Amino acid sequence: MAKNQIRIVDTDIHERVQYADILKYLDEPFKHYIQNCHWIQEKHMPYTQPAVAGVDRADAVLPDGRPAGSDLAFMQKQLLDDIGHEFGILTSALDPSPSSMHGWYEMATALASAYNDWQIEEWLDKDDRLYGSVHIAAQDRDAAVKEIERVGSHPKMVQVLLPIDDIMWGDPFYHPIFEAAEKHNLMIGMHHNEPPVYYGKWPRYFIEWHTLIPTAHMKQVTNMIFNGVFDKFPNLGLMMIEGGFTWVPHLMWKMDQQYRDLRHEVPWLKRKPSDIFKEQIRVTTQPAEELTKQEFMSLIEQMGTDEILCFSTDYPHWDYDSPTRALPNMDAELKQKIFAENAKAFYPKLPNS
Amino acid sequence: MKEQVVCKTTELEPGEMKAANLGKQNVLVCRTLDGKFYAFLNQCNHQGAPLDKGMICGATTDKSKPGDYHYCRKGEIIRCPWHGREFDIKDEGRMLANPSKKLPSYKVRVEDEDVIVYK
Repeated sequence: MAKNQIRIVDTDIHERVQYADILKYLDEPFKHYIQNCHWIQEKHMPYTQPAVAGVDRADAVLPDGRPAGSDLAFMQKQLLDDIGHEFGILTSALDPSPSSMHGWYEMATALASAYNDWQIEEWLDKDDRLYGSVHIAAQDRDAAVKEIERVGSHPKMVQVLLPIDDIMWGDPFYHPIFEAAEKHNLMIGMHHNEPPVYYGKWPRYFIEWHTLIPTAHMKQVTNMIFNGVFDKFPNLGLMMIEGGFTWVPHLMWKMDQQYRDLRHEVPWLKRKPSDIFKEQIRVTTQPAEELTKQEFMSLIEQMGTDEILCFSTDYPHWDYDSPTRALPNMDAELKQKIFAENAKAFYPKLPNS
Repeated sequence: MKEQVVCKTTELEPGEMKAANLGKQNVLVCRTLDGKFYAFLNQCNHQGAPLDKGMICGATTDKSKPGDYHYCRKGEIIRCPWHGREFDIKDEGRMLANPSKKLPSYKVRVEDEDVIVYK
């Protein structure tokens, strides 16, 4: 694949805030809690990410020691300019992740607003290629809706970000969030934070947890579909970020088969689940398993459409996928769809010329 | 035969690695703890990451039984900066998890203080 043949749309780029950088966007007393009381978001993972530089690509850590993803100029040089991105969608790092905080809704709400302001000012306003995700503290639903109302109309905000963690977002309690998103032409982006993939707990090894992340994505998709979110909000779309894609045919078949038997429990579903998936759910490619071209094409055939997959790098994290090396070779038309057109067709606010 | 002095022996301490150019190719020169030099193509055979940005380190051995950890081979393993794949410097650059895959390697000789890499 020639490197610059297609100007790619990268659906998962992790910019990273440092607590010191976000202070000026925070009101008191929340600023005080971080600055003077040294508050940081709680962490659960009992292991290190056993790659070379923790969660990051070792060559993406800044020369001055700041964490990967924390500097726009460095990201431009290493990623956007080097690869020749047309657009990149920011999905933030693991921390802070306001809607997966446990307790202290007020801090989560303040942090979400500060994060959005920081993201707009330091990233979206400074690079035409970058588009953003609205952070919310969804556990305080009404505050979350207010935040969507506050920043959702920003021309470069394309989705509302919800973490895949320990809340199932299809619950009707959260539907006002989807209503607000739909109103502003925002899609929902779901990215795992620290999902309990193991019967609500952590497995013994990171490799088990990391292997099973797609199961957490499958749970959310199943939950959103059967709770009728996509029937209630026909213009809403869901982007499942960083769960890979080889699970998609299995879940489509399983949901369809269940629907044929058990439809009477969810009479609000007017379409079979795989059709809902095809119309309203998209999936980013990373982390791509190493597939042959034949295996890859077979999966697309099993999905019944080549419009679900949207390429993503996951820059600057260690399990980054190279646009030239992660997926097998494919014909030009399909490549154009996966690397650019599918994402442009999905996000109403992404220019689609 | 194309060959090139890539560095002085004093520029690379045992347990270190660095990138160098051999014509158009970017080469990773490694020095193991016994003082010996090795050279490989400076590109991971998975997705092409620059290996010199990773680390030279040891590894947990595959001789372990479940629950055992033995960290050994210090200074003999290259780990990729991206996905952390491990390559055995002293075993022709073979990947630990799949020894049928290896990094393309170069020959190295030392003359006086010059480290010379060649095909």
